[in-house]
Amino acid sequence: MNQLIWRLHRQQVIFAGAALAVLAVLLLVTGTTMAHDYHSALATCGATRSCGDLPGELFQGDGLIIDLVSCTFVVPLLFGLFWGAPLVAKEFEQGTQDLVWTQGVTRRSWMTSNVAYVLAAAAAWGGAMSLLVTWWRGPEDALHGGRFGVAFDITGVTPIAYAVFAVALGIAAGTMLRRVLPAMATTLAGFVLVRGAVGLWLRPRFVAPIRHSFRLVNDVSGAPAGAWIISKIIIDPAGRLYDPSSPAGVPAACHAALFNNSAASCLAAHGFRRLVVYQPAGRFWTFQAIEFTIFIVLAAALVAFACALVVRRDA
Amino acid sequence: MRTTESEMAVRTIGLGKRFGPTWALEDCSIDVPQGRVSALVGPNGAGKTTLLRLLVGLSSPSVGEAFVLDKPPRQSQDFLASVGYLAQQAPLYKQLTAAEHLRLGSHLNSRWDSDTAMNRLTARHIPLDRPVETLSGGQRSQVALGLALAKQPQVLLLDEPVAALDPLARREFLASLADAVADGDLTVVLSSHLLHDLERVCDHIILLAASRTQLCDDIDHILETHKVLVGPRRAAAEIEGRYRVVRAVHSERQSRLLVQLEAPLIDPTWELSDVGLEDVVLAYMGDDGSNTAGPLSLVGGPR
Repeated sequence: MNQLIWRLHRQQVIFAGAALAVLAVLLLVTGTTMAHDYHSALATCGATRSCGDLPGELFQGDGLIIDLVSCTFVVPLLFGLFWGAPLVAKEFEQGTQDLVWTQGVTRRSWMTSNVAYVLAAAAAWGGAMSLLVTWWRGPEDALHGGRFGVAFDITGVTPIAYAVFAVALGIAAGTMLRRVLPAMATTLAGFVLVRGAVGLWLRPRFVAPIRHSFRLVNDVSGAPAGAWIISKIIIDPAGRLYDPSSPAGVPAACHAALFNNSAASCLAAHGFRRLVVYQPAGRFWTFQAIEFTIFIVLAAALVAFACALVVRRDA
Repeated sequence: MRTTESEMAVRTIGLGKRFGPTWALEDCSIDVPQGRVSALVGPNGAGKTTLLRLLVGLSSPSVGEAFVLDKPPRQSQDFLASVGYLAQQAPLYKQLTAAEHLRLGSHLNSRWDSDTAMNRLTARHIPLDRPVETLSGGQRSQVALGLALAKQPQVLLLDEPVAALDPLARREFLASLADAVADGDLTVVLSSHLLHDLERVCDHIILLAASRTQLCDDIDHILETHKVLVGPRRAAAEIEGRYRVVRAVHSERQSRLLVQLEAPLIDPTWELSDVGLEDVVLAYMGDDGSNTAGPLSLVGGPR
């Protein structure tokens, strides 16, 4: 069984391994430089107590590599497309399910070992990539004081869960559709949909966000460094959203102020406040754990579905 | 040539398989005694592939029961080890070599005979070290047969193994098969829509037509019991009442009947003659192949 899996998938494994190696070399080289820059800059500005602009100044020339690292968020999807989707679908396209499912191994154990190996490989790759990226982004994330944002999707434990989920989704789609290309298309659509829904809609609600309101002043963020700011609005004294487009929403005394730069102080004088809704940086690991659990549970359900199909449905 | 139930390698009772609204196989009841090499014949779409897939457990029946070696096809190592299957088009992993296929087989089966398979393929000059996609169709079929035999099954099911082969490759494939069944009590069921190919290696026949079993018997017994009767037309009705008339051709005064007789018919009215297997099969399939005969009818008499 093991040898069959290795022999049939070794090209994919070698290809993925090579890609990971290239990424590793690239990140190790640039990451070492970045860490060096960061520490020497910290030493300099620390001595003169002028670190305020450091995030803006450092790493400005690294745009390409930063984009590349950000792009690692699509890697889990690639596992789903090229490892997950063909796993069962390719057998059907070649007709080899008739060969392999009539050997002395039950379909259940064939499926179990195949799925186990592919999922383990995906998890290992996702983990290795995440470790690299986490290390590489270390200086930058330290500067920002938090890892919500792009870092949430490409560092920590979430890349592992995404990779496992993408592969499970690919396997399920391939098992159901029995054709590689439709299975890949379904995997792509499903992955984007679920990741989008969780990331944009569910994630801000994992834990009730902190709502902080304060006197309206320009240019003050109101949230601690590294926090994930979900919304930032102006509210009137009754707590309703400030609506400058309706005359009733703006106190008469401030109408004139809207057309010069004193609007903020005028509104502040009339009891308008700034409301910031955010998740503090300290909740990073809680959020990672919740996101991880969601995707692993989804993956488990998809795998169970695929296994049931393989065992029960006519070949 | 009658055998008891426990000696049946393959038995089905009212087996049927429906895909959506259409029945691919209906009311199929067959018995294949152990050790037979059985030809599963019938026109395209008669349900041959469906039957074989039901027997090997790749699909499950809509109605009825199937037994292979007295066990219903199921997902257990025991069952899978006892049945060999060669699917239509002889599917193989294109990028793997014959030797790699044999190694895989040894990992996937507790009982596996690589050496014999290797020798058999070498004797037929099949390259073992080239990806199978570079082999000819005949060579691929030989590799697939080698895999099926290396499993050392008790029942071997082959689906249209020679359909895609040229006459030479066809002969070689059947020779390989004949070698393999020469010793031991392997039971083989091989399907084809061309009876001619199988006549040499088979001693039993299952005829499916119109999704039903028309015939399932030893070839010797079929030839013994099927006769052509030629006699006066006025006496035909009496024969049709007494025997199963497979086919009747009537001219103005004379009738020519293909009849299934369990006991010899002694009646000077009728002239009896032997009939070839192909004619019997064609008669059951309702097509005499020549299209030159007069009005034909396929008559199902009492059985």
